[in-house]
Amino acid sequence: MEARITLQVDGERRALTLDTRTTLLDALRDHLGVMSPKKGCDHGQCGACTVLLDGRRATTCLSFAVAHDGAAITTAQGLAANGALHPVQRAFIAHDGLQCGYCTPGQICSAVGMIEEARAGHPSHVTKDLTGPVALTDDEIRERMSGNLCRCGAYVNILAAIREAAS
Amino acid sequence: MYLRPSMVEEALAALAEGGPTTILAGGTDYYPARVGRPLTEDILDITAIAALRGIGERDGALRIGAAVRWTEIAEAALPPSLRCLQLAAREIGGRQIQNAGTLAGNLCNASPAADGVPCLLALDAEVELASARGTRRLPVAEFVRGNRRTARRPDELMTAIIVPRCAEAARSTFLKLGARRYLVISIVMVAALIEAAPDGAIAAARIAVGACSAAAQRLPLLEAVLRGRRLASGIGCLVAAEHLGELAPIDDVRGTAAYRREAARRLVARALDELAAEAAA
Ligand SMILES: Cc1cc2nc3c(=O)[nH]c(=O)nc-3n(C[C@H](O)[C@H](O)[C@H](O)COP(=O)(O)OP(=O)(O)OC[C@H]3O[C@@H](n4cnc5c(N)ncnc54)[C@H](O)[C@@H]3O)c2cc1C
Ligand code: FES
Ligand code: FES
Repeated sequence: MEARITLQVDGERRALTLDTRTTLLDALRDHLGVMSPKKGCDHGQCGACTVLLDGRRATTCLSFAVAHDGAAITTAQGLAANGALHPVQRAFIAHDGLQCGYCTPGQICSAVGMIEEARAGHPSHVTKDLTGPVALTDDEIRERMSGNLCRCGAYVNILAAIREAAS
Repeated sequence: MYLRPSMVEEALAALAEGGPTTILAGGTDYYPARVGRPLTEDILDITAIAALRGIGERDGALRIGAAVRWTEIAEAALPPSLRCLQLAAREIGGRQIQNAGTLAGNLCNASPAADGVPCLLALDAEVELASARGTRRLPVAEFVRGNRRTARRPDELMTAIIVPRCAEAARSTFLKLGARRYLVISIVMVAALIEAAPDGAIAAARIAVGACSAAAQRLPLLEAVLRGRRLASGIGCLVAAEHLGELAPIDDVRGTAAYRREAARRLVARALDELAAEAAA
């Protein structure tokens, strides 16, 4: 079965007709040519396909595109509005927070969403004080980024980049 | 066919037709299982049904809609008795999984390692199942029958999880053990709820262990031993191997049965010690 949907991708309205079994990740990459979300595992395990879906971190390999008709999606490439890099992107470059770069767009989207969640006071598994705003300690950053794997093991520099961007 | 109704009735009508229909909520159990397999069945996506959203009170009990995601559970202002469920919520996969996955999906998928099940057993929760024929309620212990086996009939939709109100003094916790901290299938997990009088005497204890049997189990022998004891430092020492009789752990790549049994004993003891320390604080 085919369906017609529209997605707001990186600020642009995109209409597409696709098989209802198409995942959001395949819709972005294969139908719309938006290549920054990567397919690492296709199982929800690695986080390389992470985007911000209506502002929240989402693994796009774990959902059908038709379930998101009308949704606003921000990918790593859309974070660089008018070519100016987002502070999280600048911090990844400054701290060399990558090696091969395959996980990086997912890491960056995840970090942007994560910093917002902490600002809003959302607790994580390691949050001790559940009443106030969350201080993004190294433990908090590691815990909150646990859904994004880096096969190159660039974690030390990823942590440093996020620590700087969050402060 | 892909259906995404906005009303429960439409969903029930589709299920009543009897075709092969897969209910889809967060999809975090569904997609990993379907990769590389042609998809031929109809999909019934329930995430647009407003009546399945939200956590609220009804008839003195807490009602968690079937479309409620782990993130919402983690962030909701809930009574301290539900802390076990909130702790579990913050440890499901990573945040992306918590943003998509639902508690109802966790129950319906009925993995022996589903973190929600021991929590709901300790909370004495029930599930609400609806079909075009009517609505019924079942205790979670009767709903989850074994490894990926539930009492759900093919035309039924889980509409809510119902947690009865606990005594004001009830406190709970949740601990899980995996080979590493993240993204692994648990070796053992424990949910413990204790209701103690102001002098520390335990009025009620409900302890459940997951991943050590086809479905998570309560530990009635241990619960009986705990009743009337004082919730105080050292209480964990009461947990003995013979209290774990309900468990039937297996040998697999993650650990031997003997290891699991010992890990379960220690994790239960640790959970009780934590509750005692919290009560003393
Ligand atoms: C990377 C990763 C990490 C994970 N980590 C954990 C973990 O730490 N602990 C854990 O317990 N689980 C974990 N899971 C498994 C999964 O995320 C949870 O079980 C989740 O709660 C499933 O909910 P869902 O809404 O995504 O279910 P879905 O995948 O949408 O559905 C699961 C099953 O339940 C059925 N179903 C769903 N809703 C209903 C309903 N209302 N009525 C009837 N049937 C229904 C579906 O048909 C399907 O068979 C993980 C998964 C991934 C991919
Ligand atoms: S490709 Fe989606 S999580 Fe790995
Ligand atoms: S930089 Fe290579 S996977 Fe992370």
